[in-house]
Amino acid sequence: MATATLNEFDNTVIDPAVRPPLMGGENSLSSITEQVASLAERQHAPRAWKIAFAISTSLTVMLFALIGYLIATGIGVWGNNSPVAWGWPIVNFVFWVGIGHAGTLISAILFLFRQDWRTSINRFAEAMTIFAVMCAGIFPAIHIGRVWFVYWLAPLPNSLAMWPNFRSPLLWDVFAVTAYATVSAMFWYLGMLPDLATLRDRATTRIRKIAYGIASLGWTGSSKQWRLFEKAYLLLAALATPLVLSVHTIVSFDFAVSQVPGWHTTIFPPYFVAGAVFSGFAMVITLMVPARQFFGLKNLVTLRHLENICKIVLATGMMVGYAYATEFFIAWYGGNKYEQFAFINRALGPYAWAYWTMVSCNVLAPQLFWFKAVRTTPWAMVVICVLVNVGMWFERFVITVTSLSRDFLPSSWGYFTPSLIDVLMFVGSFGLFFTLFLLFCRFLPMVAMAEVKSVLPESGGH
Amino acid sequence: MTDLDTQSEPKRYWRSLDELAEKPAFRDWMSREFPAAGSELPDSVSRRRWMQLMGASLAFGGMVGCRWEVEEFAPFTVRPQNRTPGEKQYFSSTWELAGTGRALTVTSIDGRPIKVDGNQQHPFTNGGSDAFDQASILALYDPDRSDGLFERPGKESIRRTWEEFDDALQSRIALHDKSRGRGLAFVCGASSSLTRKRLQQLIAARFPAMVWCEHEQSITRFEAEGSRMAFGESVRTHLDFRKAKVIACFDADPMGAHPAAMQMVRDWADRRDPDANWMNRLYAFESGMSLTGSNADHRLAMRSGDIPAFVARLETEVTAAIKSGKIVERASADAEKMPRVLAALVSDLVQHRGESVLMVGPNQPAEVHARIQRLNAMLGNVGATVTHTIDPIDSDIAVTAFPDLVQQMEAGQIETLVVLESNPAYGSPLSQRFATALKQIAFSVHAGVYRDETSKCCQWHVPAAHFLEAWGDCRTWDGTATIAQPLIAPLFGGRTTTELLSLFTRTGLTSSEQLVRRAFLSWSSETMKPPREAVRLKSESEWRKAVHDGFVEESDFAARDVTLESDLDERLPVGKLTKTEQSLSANEIELVINTDASVHDGRFSNNGWLQEVPDPMTKLTWDNAAIMGPSTAKRLGVSHEDVVQISVNQTTVSLPVFVLPGIALNSVQLALGYGRTSAGHVGGSVADDVNPVGVDVSPLLQDETGIIREAVTITPTGKQHKLATTQDHFAIDAVGFEAIGNRLGELVRTGTLKEYEEHPDFAAHRGPHHPPLESPWEEQQYDGHAWGMAIDLNRCIGCNACTVACQSENNVPIVGQDQVLAGREMSWLRIDRYFAGDPEDPEVAHQPVACHHCENAPCEQVCPVAATVHSDEGLNDMVYNRCVGTRYCANNCPYKVRRFNFFDYNASLAKPENALQKMILNPDVTVRSRGVMEKCTYCVQRIQDTKIDAKNNRRSIEDGEIVTACQQACPAKAIVFGDLNDKNSAVAKAHDDDRSYGMLSELNTKPRTKYLARIRNPHPWLAEEGV
Repeated sequence: MATATLNEFDNTVIDPAVRPPLMGGENSLSSITEQVASLAERQHAPRAWKIAFAISTSLTVMLFALIGYLIATGIGVWGNNSPVAWGWPIVNFVFWVGIGHAGTLISAILFLFRQDWRTSINRFAEAMTIFAVMCAGIFPAIHIGRVWFVYWLAPLPNSLAMWPNFRSPLLWDVFAVTAYATVSAMFWYLGMLPDLATLRDRATTRIRKIAYGIASLGWTGSSKQWRLFEKAYLLLAALATPLVLSVHTIVSFDFAVSQVPGWHTTIFPPYFVAGAVFSGFAMVITLMVPARQFFGLKNLVTLRHLENICKIVLATGMMVGYAYATEFFIAWYGGNKYEQFAFINRALGPYAWAYWTMVSCNVLAPQLFWFKAVRTTPWAMVVICVLVNVGMWFERFVITVTSLSRDFLPSSWGYFTPSLIDVLMFVGSFGLFFTLFLLFCRFLPMVAMAEVKSVLPESGGH
Repeated sequence: MTDLDTQSEPKRYWRSLDELAEKPAFRDWMSREFPAAGSELPDSVSRRRWMQLMGASLAFGGMVGCRWEVEEFAPFTVRPQNRTPGEKQYFSSTWELAGTGRALTVTSIDGRPIKVDGNQQHPFTNGGSDAFDQASILALYDPDRSDGLFERPGKESIRRTWEEFDDALQSRIALHDKSRGRGLAFVCGASSSLTRKRLQQLIAARFPAMVWCEHEQSITRFEAEGSRMAFGESVRTHLDFRKAKVIACFDADPMGAHPAAMQMVRDWADRRDPDANWMNRLYAFESGMSLTGSNADHRLAMRSGDIPAFVARLETEVTAAIKSGKIVERASADAEKMPRVLAALVSDLVQHRGESVLMVGPNQPAEVHARIQRLNAMLGNVGATVTHTIDPIDSDIAVTAFPDLVQQMEAGQIETLVVLESNPAYGSPLSQRFATALKQIAFSVHAGVYRDETSKCCQWHVPAAHFLEAWGDCRTWDGTATIAQPLIAPLFGGRTTTELLSLFTRTGLTSSEQLVRRAFLSWSSETMKPPREAVRLKSESEWRKAVHDGFVEESDFAARDVTLESDLDERLPVGKLTKTEQSLSANEIELVINTDASVHDGRFSNNGWLQEVPDPMTKLTWDNAAIMGPSTAKRLGVSHEDVVQISVNQTTVSLPVFVLPGIALNSVQLALGYGRTSAGHVGGSVADDVNPVGVDVSPLLQDETGIIREAVTITPTGKQHKLATTQDHFAIDAVGFEAIGNRLGELVRTGTLKEYEEHPDFAAHRGPHHPPLESPWEEQQYDGHAWGMAIDLNRCIGCNACTVACQSENNVPIVGQDQVLAGREMSWLRIDRYFAGDPEDPEVAHQPVACHHCENAPCEQVCPVAATVHSDEGLNDMVYNRCVGTRYCANNCPYKVRRFNFFDYNASLAKPENALQKMILNPDVTVRSRGVMEKCTYCVQRIQDTKIDAKNNRRSIEDGEIVTACQQACPAKAIVFGDLNDKNSAVAKAHDDDRSYGMLSELNTKPRTKYLARIRNPHPWLAEEGV
């Protein structure tokens, strides 16, 4: 381990008389700067980082090579067929968009609700969001048959006066995802400005000085700048908040607006948002627990933070479980035999294995978070959260593939089998995600120093 | 042109390409490009050769249609009279399948034929066509076609010229002149051609000792023997389904494999109108699941080997009923299905004397054929619904049976063997022996469109002309003489069978045109005896009319009065089985081998359209399988896609199991025509490392019959083989199975005649009940045309004519077995086949499904780039060049008719060496690129064609003027297309019919294709009992 690790301390005890501290150890304004900034300032990356980076960049290269192959050959390299015209790429898209939910939620919504504990984890989660949305964005773009005309989806003025079809949810999706990606990126970057300036000020090499100098946009830390910064941050938070809800609502419209049995349900928007938050927080835990261990951030990202996230995972997991139950109830209550069959087929048909994987991972596994011992044991929460991520991927698989494979006419029923390319591209997207993430860990402040400082007791609420 | 008879034989008449090709200068030029042993081009046509050929043949295009004038090349720089480039022209033609002619109309654009359809004017076929007809054109442009003459003196094959061949052959013929033809043998397929008959006579006159063998695996001798047994002479039996109120088929398939299927389908369908005075009733007794069985009102599955016993029992009961004159009593309701159906059939037959038809399949023994002839006679059907004519296959000249020929070959009695467009080295139990003996023969020639298995064993291979490249003639089932005219010069300089035969006459090589003319015009001037019921044309103008029409009027065979042999009852006592008719014990397994619905006896193996068209019942593509019922499979301990080993007398084949509902217990069905080793790049070619498609089961055949009843053993091998079906097979999970059962009643609405009479609008009530459907926005109004379609499920029999026609018309690519397995077949029009009820005795429904052109099209709303939009005539247009391929439309289409180009399926067409293949494309239809969606357009190009013509001529479009490709092909006339705004149009009337319903219309899609519910006409007894 490169940095000294502080011992775990328990700040999860709820005693109404004494508020447990948000952070452990003896933190001062300068110790926090020192602790976080030094991680980004190391001359040589640790060996483990290098190994991880080598693996993930290789996977990233594989992903892009496969994209090249796909574009040169055709969509047929995947397992998609008729009736399952959307397969893994769309599953992966929704999966990654879902992951990308936690960041902005933590930054924006918890910020508006003045949840101070968010400060230790928001940078981390926001970075995860941006990278997840980047991974997500790749899939819908390359999944179209003629990717070279992808810009036709944008309402570009042209000599034919040919506009996109504004009735199509896919078009709404284009706007929703790009808006979300843009606002998330701005939010992340804006919040990082003071910290980038700190890195600039501490930089010892010329390259770092120039790079951080440009990146920090001339931040001096004057009161005026702070005033404007906080105003802008608040405004962006307000802007991002509805987007958190809208993006997955609109992604769910891709399904809900169509008439495929199993897709055509009104529950989809809240269900998708809950699922996205669920998977996003699970991903935060999955990444945070090893990172805080590895980079010695236990004093800043404390057990209490983790426990809070576990609680959110438990809550959203139950919402998702409730949604599963409601879908079944409505299918029965609605009396539409095609919808009834869609759900019976999910649970008992050829894809039952996928359905029950999903239910066990998403509904049963998080139930362990009722136990405080589980909520406060980092390895246990990682295991559960990885299961949740698996489950959430399967949820999207079940929705997309199972519904399509058997819709109205039994003559057209089919079975979807992924190709090797499908699998490798999904693995490759993880490579891209981790490549970006490792670069983030290496060169940018992982914890929002300025914001953490603002919740230290000595800041006195400033 | 004046008198034909007196005209000297102009050797190279109008076919100047031939002429050109035979001039030394041209030959030199050719051979510079392609050295004599031109092995550099084993696979396809090169670009240069292509340019040469096309330069010539396109120029020829200018002259099609008026063939009998001496004509010259005319480059297209000067437009020939009455020709507009790009405008379609239609010519009558014909071709033969296993000795029966089919009347065609061929569409040609700029001198190249692109589409084949039935000849509407033809008195017998009435414009019907089947999948074979539709796909026949593909062979014309097949890059695997034989592109030249080859001699194999040693191990290597050397390219030769026609002159070299003619020289070699003439010296051989001279040799036989001395021996009066001893040692000279011809093998060819069955043919009804008068031209060939005439040549056969001429050759027989010159070489009296020659051997003439007609090898046709799909024709058995039992029908002829049966009629000889019954009437003392071999006759052809014609069944009139137009007059028949009761039809009973015993192992017979008048809708599928029968040579007169098209006519019978049409007549049958015409009598399925529930609003007419009467509707026929169809009974089917069969082991397999045929098209006929699937459309029968009552179907009884029994082993083919049990059919004779059943027929004998029927005979006994019918005889008793007729003798006693009493009303037939119904069987007790607790009895099994068989006696109850039998009783119903007997009562129907006795009540409808002179109005019923009984028919039996070609695999049944001669005795059964004789019994059925006797039954038909006994019921008064002969002369009414059943007529007899001469049997044209029954030749005037001695014909050697194929086994005898093989024996003679093995005995070294044959020195010269000429194989004409026949492939005996494949597909027969004697093939192996034939091939071995063939290699020993001193001089052997194979003429064929392909270099097939037989060609590989012969010394000489010469290319045969495709039927669209030459003159020809044949006779349809009823005897009507039909005439083929060439639409394009032979692409590879091939000669017809008749031209090759003319080399053996004293006249020497004669053009096919002269030969056909002589067969019709100048027979009288010759000394030999014309064949029975030859057709003669009296004048040039009659000949011209015949060529134009494609047939000779009133040339059908005259009905023959036949009487039962007086001692028939003694030789074949009523109800008493002879030895050959004995049933098997109940537990024994029989094999039933028939020709395949897709590749026939293997002759269409290299036809991609046919390989990929799903079998009507199994929906299997690119394969054959051992088809058996669920109980048989269970008994044998095998399941779907298990590979089994089937052994009969030490002969063994291994193939996968296909579990299909409705196959008789202990009967296993196999299809011929697979496992070819030298078919080509589609059907399998071992030399090119292309695996054979399917497995050749012909080694199992015995004594011509396809029913194998002795010592059949079937053992699992433990292996598995994936079968590429386009629809879920029977082996489906319980949840899915139940759901299909729940939905079927709504998707394919079926009622009985009684139900229909009581509640004519029953179909509307079979659908789901839902609140009134409202549109969320103002709907488009159609002031001009509003196109629509109606498909009468009561007429549709589920054959594949429409599917292949659509493929041909709309340039739909084939994708191959792997892609079908992946679920990516491209057919715009598919025929859904559903089973309902007991898996051992199911009801079957066929339903053609193409784009419904919904008024509220779900696909249109979800396309982000507006690539699929509504036209102002109500069509759901697909704009290929706007499509980016999100495939959202395919997801949202409840009918799942949208097809996506997952790969560049047409990529090979862009390669110069595949330019020949490209000629098949319909120039009016865009060839779609990779990454775009496609689907049925209601043949928008045909709509536009007619609209443009109507506009130019300032006229309105008549109802029925626009005919979609599927509609045109349909032999049953189940599809109607037209303008819904015209309230008098056939389609508007069909939409208003009581029986009409929209599939899934509860989704508020407002489909423009409506179905007319299927009406069954069960026997009242059985209907009451729910049998």
